[in-house]
Amino acid sequence: MSEPPRDAQQIPRASRACRRLFGPVDSEQLRRDCDALMASCVQEARERWNFDFVTETPLEGDFAWERVRGLGLPKIYLSPRPRGGRDDLGGGKRPSTSPALLQGTAEEDHVDLSLSCTLLPHSPERPEGSPGGPGTSQGRKRRQTSMTDFYHSKRRLVFSKRKP
Amino acid sequence: MELLCCEVDPVRRAVPDANLLYDDRVLQNLLTIEERYLPQCSYFKCVQKDIQPYMRRMVATWMLEVCEEQKCEEEVFPLAMNYLDRFLAGVPTPKTHLQLLGAVCMFLASKLKETIPLTAEKLCIYTDNSIKPQELLEWELVVLGKLKWNLAAVTPHDFIEHILRKLPQPNEKLSLIRKHAQTFIALCATDFKFAMYPPSMIATGSVGAAICGLQQDEDVSSLTGDALVDLLAKITNTDVDCLKACQEQIEVVLLNSLQQLRQDQGDGAKSEDELDQASTPTDVRDIDL
Repeated sequence: MSEPPRDAQQIPRASRACRRLFGPVDSEQLRRDCDALMASCVQEARERWNFDFVTETPLEGDFAWERVRGLGLPKIYLSPRPRGGRDDLGGGKRPSTSPALLQGTAEEDHVDLSLSCTLLPHSPERPEGSPGGPGTSQGRKRRQTSMTDFYHSKRRLVFSKRKP
Repeated sequence: MELLCCEVDPVRRAVPDANLLYDDRVLQNLLTIEERYLPQCSYFKCVQKDIQPYMRRMVATWMLEVCEEQKCEEEVFPLAMNYLDRFLAGVPTPKTHLQLLGAVCMFLASKLKETIPLTAEKLCIYTDNSIKPQELLEWELVVLGKLKWNLAAVTPHDFIEHILRKLPQPNEKLSLIRKHAQTFIALCATDFKFAMYPPSMIATGSVGAAICGLQQDEDVSSLTGDALVDLLAKITNTDVDCLKACQEQIEVVLLNSLQQLRQDQGDGAKSEDELDQASTPTDVRDIDL
């Protein structure tokens, strides 16, 4: 689908707003910093949820993870492969936002498997995830399908084809 | 033959929802949660080594220009600045990444608030192609991760209608007060001083400054001076003295930006036409303080 309204909002010729503010940008440094920050995000998530999102394995911690089947998730969350090619925007270059996330994951599992987690009752810590979130649900069983989809949707975002 | 013009405003808007705007619980909830979305520290002192306050102002000014030229919703710019401040409060960043971050934050805020968001390509053009769309998309994930995907931050705009409906203003004055208050909110977002203030205080101060500013030209309010401040403070549970100080700071920032604008005009850098395109900062020249 095209998007006439915003396209109509073209960038005016010789717009003063088109400018670089702080000189040349070092793509290599951007790449390195991006990789390092993504890795720290993954690490934070790993500690927060005691779950290794790279290998998709539960770790020791407050949350007890268990595999569940047949949650009836919409297909989009289960697609084993991201839509679109790898070379959409990267021009054939491998997107390296989170290379670790792309390797060795059991993608096929997601066709009909997902993980749910339960917060173990003894935990003194309250999840601080989302504001207004289920912070008080200690010991209550929660469906955490979104946890595994979290990184899947990231992958889709990186790969997914931009609409023309 | 009859010609029909089918051009309409392409942006579809919902009608104001009375359930959201006229229920005090909504206001109380906003007041309860707003602090969660403030940056965690004054990052120029404790986190950033390379980035200086004037650089934040540069990138903010640029972001505001882009938002105006693209006719973004009013909330997009303050929301993007909230993302930027929260990111910088946690991640030491070289100044060469700052414009990319600004673009990413606009990208995210626009997606959250607009029916037809800004595209990555367009934002890259606005950086004079110093970044590539691919880099923007990769950094989008980084920023999302560091913000813990908490994007629905409370902004001063969320409070404006709640405040306005409790003021004894005649209805026909409200739209002008609203417009000026929105301008002040954008102005506050460009200045780091306000980055750690609760959005409700900025909103209340902006409405107060708008009414005071307009008061000099015409009678927009039956309330003046202290009575007005007292009422405003009560609406958002803000301390009266804090509110007064905030409103004064807004007026100072406004004066500075007016002076800046006059200088720019003196340079003949902008044509009158360009000035008229902008809806936010240049409108302040209409205000006589």
